[in-house]
Amino acid sequence: MAETNTGQPRSMVQVEGVNHFFGEGDSRNQVLFNNSIEIPAGQLVIMTGPSGSGKTTLLTLIGALRSVQSGRIAVLGNNLSGLQGNDLVVMRRNIGFIFQMHNLFDSLSALENVKMAMQIGRCPASEMRRRGTEILERLGLGHRIDHKPKALSGGQRQRVAVARALVNKPKLILADEPTAALDKDSSRTVVNLLKELTTQDGCAVMMVTHDNRILELADRIVNMVDGSIRSDVVLRDAVMICEFLRTVELFKHLTPHEITNIAEKMKRKRYGRNEIIIREGDPGEEFFLIGQGQVTVSKRVDKSEERHLATLSTGNVFGERALMADEPRNATCAAASDQVEVFALDKADFVKALETSATFNQQLKSIYFQRQ
Amino acid sequence: MRGVIATLPFLRLGSRGTVPLAWRNLVADKRRLLRSTSGISFAVLLMLLQLGFRGAFLDSSLAVIQKLDGDIFITSSTKFRFGRKDPFSFRQLYAARAIDGVEWARPIYGEWMISAWKNPWTRKTYNAQVLGFDPAQPVFLLPEIAARLEQLKQPDTAMFDLRARRFLGTAEDGVVTELARRQIRVVGNFSLGPDFTTDGTVIMSDWNFRKFFPPPPSAAGYLGDVEFGVIKVRPGFQVEDVQRALKQALPASIAVRTKAQLVALEVAFQNGVSPVGPIFMLGTAIGFIVGLMISYQILYTELSDQLSQYATLKAIGYENGYLVRVVLLQAAFYGVVGFLPAWTLGLIIFYAIGEMALLPMRLGAAISVGTLALTVGMCVLSGVLAVRRVLDADPAEVF
Repeated sequence: MAETNTGQPRSMVQVEGVNHFFGEGDSRNQVLFNNSIEIPAGQLVIMTGPSGSGKTTLLTLIGALRSVQSGRIAVLGNNLSGLQGNDLVVMRRNIGFIFQMHNLFDSLSALENVKMAMQIGRCPASEMRRRGTEILERLGLGHRIDHKPKALSGGQRQRVAVARALVNKPKLILADEPTAALDKDSSRTVVNLLKELTTQDGCAVMMVTHDNRILELADRIVNMVDGSIRSDVVLRDAVMICEFLRTVELFKHLTPHEITNIAEKMKRKRYGRNEIIIREGDPGEEFFLIGQGQVTVSKRVDKSEERHLATLSTGNVFGERALMADEPRNATCAAASDQVEVFALDKADFVKALETSATFNQQLKSIYFQRQ
Repeated sequence: MRGVIATLPFLRLGSRGTVPLAWRNLVADKRRLLRSTSGISFAVLLMLLQLGFRGAFLDSSLAVIQKLDGDIFITSSTKFRFGRKDPFSFRQLYAARAIDGVEWARPIYGEWMISAWKNPWTRKTYNAQVLGFDPAQPVFLLPEIAARLEQLKQPDTAMFDLRARRFLGTAEDGVVTELARRQIRVVGNFSLGPDFTTDGTVIMSDWNFRKFFPPPPSAAGYLGDVEFGVIKVRPGFQVEDVQRALKQALPASIAVRTKAQLVALEVAFQNGVSPVGPIFMLGTAIGFIVGLMISYQILYTELSDQLSQYATLKAIGYENGYLVRVVLLQAAFYGVVGFLPAWTLGLIIFYAIGEMALLPMRLGAAISVGTLALTVGMCVLSGVLAVRRVLDADPAEVF
């Protein structure tokens, strides 16, 4: 695993092929299906999806609140698979949790509630008051540190809970609807702080939310349906993909909405120099857009000779013909520079896009037939 | 004040240095604390009273033994408690006097069955405990008796217990009434008190005792049978050595006991043979169980109310051990906080019962510390039962 100079692993969360089941025996019910996701430092990830889609279950697995049953999860470089009981409990100490309910002890003041988190962290007792006060001040509660939760408004209570989650400066923050109980200003304070932690401190934040006000700050949106990750969009990439698709002749006449739908379904893939991306004669499975680097297209003329047809670069697309005509690949495409980044749309999504958008279908076909 | 309490080290036991969570949870809601405390206090008072009654019951039956001036006591070997007539021959006292190290061996006569005492005011008769001794050989540690030896030597006189039960009547110096259907003049009073089988005590000279309770014609010797031989060990001799010598010298029909052994005989009878001792232990056990249920209910409700808070602690990395410590510490606090008002109220109730029922109700160190230990144990046990509620809390459910 690649290490940055801060000593933290580059990847804050690695999820590979995770399945999860609830219940035993006959009532055993699978709720997560083969999910994989990797979250680097500095990303604010928003998880969306209908209720019951498994996003909270996935979050609790990443947060070491449940034992991993199948697949592999590593958090902050620690493998969670196979951990149970107190081993799992210890893992939680490096993670900041923000719950939908504040769950503060009524018997403790705001500062003492925050101290409960500090006690479990590495903060020396002499530092607790200063550090606790500091984070509460940052959340606009400096004048309320000795108040009991009953004397605080709902928004203030939730901000105390946020302070409790952040006071140990965790590198990973997991939040479940953190702004559901908050008014507009409190939401903004909390979300801005979370955003700040990703940009300034390199934290990763995973947040389940339905709050549209937050979406604009997200770096990445993960959508889950029926227990699996349906789309995983890094917004910077999505914007780039849309820009490119719009310049391509093939997509010229699509509406921005249609383009975005396609962009969201594309997955990033990386290739090294001379690596084959599609091979002549293979069945066509994906459609590609080049994000970065160059790709050569060549066709076998006879047994010994391969003819170079074209060199494609950033913004070009390839691989659509085999999908549309349902034929094997008619050429080989290989990476021609050191780091080639392509965005791939798999056949099912490509076909679905064709079917759902008549205009798109029409145009693609006419463009394709023009080329013939 | 709040700051002072927070810095007391014992309040921080389960709390890793800074936040005294158990204490905070205890005092967070004053009304709930009052409610909970009164419930626990009720059970504590129940236990205190039962143990107090038991103590009074034992103490009262031991009171007369404690007032005897002797190191070793000889009785018939079949005698199983103080207040049960089982005399032996006076001859054995002479034998005892011959043993090396015996300073004196003095007789006590006793009668419990045919000793009808007439209340001088109501003229009703009740059985009293009558003890006789030789005024020339005093055996009682009661100073009132030591001061009245000359009066007791006169015929038909006796001293009467001022703390006898009310229905025996107050018979002070000069009062004339009847004992065993014979006229008797009271020449003074002492303070001893009744026990659960004896309502009052009359003390008289051996000579008068013989006159009131003549021995059966078959009885041998001048003074016939005695109930106790009170033996004083001469200075420089070990009580155990003298006891051993007495046992060798006296026949098997005579038991030789130290004062402590005589007390132990009485206690064994009250606890083991009489049903009264076990009844109070049962009462204490019931108080304990009632208290256990009350404090379990209190803790269970409180933990249920804070389930998501405890689950959150687990979610942020607290181990079960910490939660158990917090809950048990809070339970122990409940024990202490519930004990204090019950004990204070107990002082008043013990005094009132002691005066009304003429029982030596004492809220001594043994009962106090014992009940405190029972109370804390009771609360901690209820904590052990209730803590499962928290341990079962699933942090994943909080999300």
